[in-house]
Amino acid sequence: MAKTSRIPYNIKIQKRLYYSRKLSILTTFSAIIIAFGVAGLFFTIIGLNPLEVYSYIGGVFASPTLLLESFKRAIPIGLAALGLSIAFKMNFWNIGAEGQMYMGMLASTGIVLLHVYYGLIPDYLVLSLMILAAFLTGGLWCCLPAFLKAKMKVNEILTTLMMNYVAMYLVDFLIYGPWRDPKGYGFPLSVPFPEYSKLTVMFGEFAYGGLLLLCLTAVIVFIILRYTKLGFELKIVGENIEIARNAGINLSKVVTVGGFIAGGIAGIGGLTIVSGIIGRLRPRASPGYGYTAIIVVLLSALNPWLIIPVSIFFGGLFVAGDILQATLRIPGAAVEMYQALIFLFIVIGEFMKRYKITITRGVVE
Amino acid sequence: MSIQWVEQVLQLTVQMGTVYLLASLGEIYAERSGVLNLGLEGMMIMGAATSFIFSIAYGHLPAIFIAAVVGALMGFILSILAVDMKLNQVIVGLALTLLGIGLSGFFTFPEIRKNILLKLNPSLPEEMLLTQQAEKLPEIPIPLFSNIPILGKMLFSHNVLVYFSLIFSILMWFILFKTRIGLTIRSVGENPSMADSLGVNVYMVRRATTIISGAFASLAGAYFFIGFHPFWREGVTAGRGFIALALVILATWSPLRAILGAYLFGGVETFQYRLQLFGLGAQSPYFLAMLPYIMTIITLIIISTESIKKKIGAPASLGIPYSREE
Repeated sequence: MAKTSRIPYNIKIQKRLYYSRKLSILTTFSAIIIAFGVAGLFFTIIGLNPLEVYSYIGGVFASPTLLLESFKRAIPIGLAALGLSIAFKMNFWNIGAEGQMYMGMLASTGIVLLHVYYGLIPDYLVLSLMILAAFLTGGLWCCLPAFLKAKMKVNEILTTLMMNYVAMYLVDFLIYGPWRDPKGYGFPLSVPFPEYSKLTVMFGEFAYGGLLLLCLTAVIVFIILRYTKLGFELKIVGENIEIARNAGINLSKVVTVGGFIAGGIAGIGGLTIVSGIIGRLRPRASPGYGYTAIIVVLLSALNPWLIIPVSIFFGGLFVAGDILQATLRIPGAAVEMYQALIFLFIVIGEFMKRYKITITRGVVE
Repeated sequence: MSIQWVEQVLQLTVQMGTVYLLASLGEIYAERSGVLNLGLEGMMIMGAATSFIFSIAYGHLPAIFIAAVVGALMGFILSILAVDMKLNQVIVGLALTLLGIGLSGFFTFPEIRKNILLKLNPSLPEEMLLTQQAEKLPEIPIPLFSNIPILGKMLFSHNVLVYFSLIFSILMWFILFKTRIGLTIRSVGENPSMADSLGVNVYMVRRATTIISGAFASLAGAYFFIGFHPFWREGVTAGRGFIALALVILATWSPLRAILGAYLFGGVETFQYRLQLFGLGAQSPYFLAMLPYIMTIITLIIISTESIKKKIGAPASLGIPYSREE
């Protein structure tokens, strides 16, 4: 017996030259399952039955009303992720989707207030102006770090992230201050949005109109990345900045414009929160959709079509989180934890895709 | 503005700055060896959560120790992902940050925390199980020195972790720039293949510095919670880990300059609280709350200008995984 244990294990790690689509799908799904397993471990530690938790999560996707709710949550997440897919394509690490969403909310609420308080804008123009304003404001919020990166190589991870906090406090300031609804009994809420300024005008149900908006945006992003000069330049900038420079691509222009579009789409994502899900502005209106979008976009490997189903899955997790909190008294942070675990194992899966590990036992000659 | 007021502001500045100092000390080592630890925020908040739970269950010293261990563990995970698996350090760091935020929120949720506390220490009284705050680390004024006007309060009447951070920044500066170990760490961050050919175990050095950075980040979180602001709410560190990351650049990867940078940022934050007390911005504390973040952005812009950039050189292989050509 003692002798057999002496035989060493040989772990050999080789770089794969290519990997199949099958392997890619397999690693993604195993990442999700392993994340379930590890989260289950944590649930067991605190004395909960993980199977019960999972049945609630699975139940979200089985019940039509809850599925519809997941679609709603998926819309801001998916829009932010679509914006990020453009940013990440050019290696612009935009962690600021959350802030850009807050700026989108702020701009669209601003338009509504202009209309309600001052009657400046005719009813039929309100929604389109809101979309425009959300796009511009979100875009500008992302444009600044993009410009700084392009011109001065300022680290965009840190600037976009810091700007999240600035945007959040800006919304706090307005909603606790000048934008508070005078008839709102002192709650930090804006006036409720009038019907024609909500995204429900299209189909009577936000989920359908929102999904349409999401799909349309996916088409636009796909076209931009695939068929336009800008998309081509974005890709080259992302793949090899030296080649881009030698090819005479105007780096700062590409990064700034790309950043503007990315932030703008996230801004519209913010609009869908106030004008679709909530119907008014309140502080901390996004429970971290902008951060979830980072996971979504990396999980979908920057593919705009995949972003839609993946964000529905993550939207469902948010709904499941609410239900778990109400029924099993599990904190909402359980969803964040679970998302982060999926993210972590997807990242590890990336290693499995790139390298082949073989374990043999025996003496190597 | 009396002397007392100035003394108090300076004391708070140092106390606030210590959060940034502790976090950046470890990060400086990691980045000097070529590993970008973007999980700093996650490790920091895990440190805060750990110190929260364990200080209630076992008291301060075990809490600080366990927080450091938890951080080292997260650093170890990062080292496997970033050093051994050679994954993208930005993505890996973000994943760990999100994980830290999620886990800390999960385990400190009142009912879950109650269960954990009962398992850790069944003899805890009922009110300790649901409290949202911990006992603050006691201040230990150094006799004689603490009576010096102004400087006494600023430097010599703090809790033990503040002294620790100051001693360690000098010690870590010395190790990094005056000893062989430091030379090895820096060479690994500048030119890993050269270091490798000279017989340095690049992976081992990077693993070690990453674990150190995890432990220090977590210690910073623990200090922030039990040493400075012992009231728990979700996301209590509020992006301070990322501010520390900016600080590392400002300090040009030197532990000594990190002291100045940390107190600068600590000063800005203290200033903001003080202004609120003065009634400035009483109607809208939100603008003042933005101050540290805006300050960080401005700092990043200033240190990115050409003339300054020439003077500071980031470690040449920062963020680039090393793999041996075979």
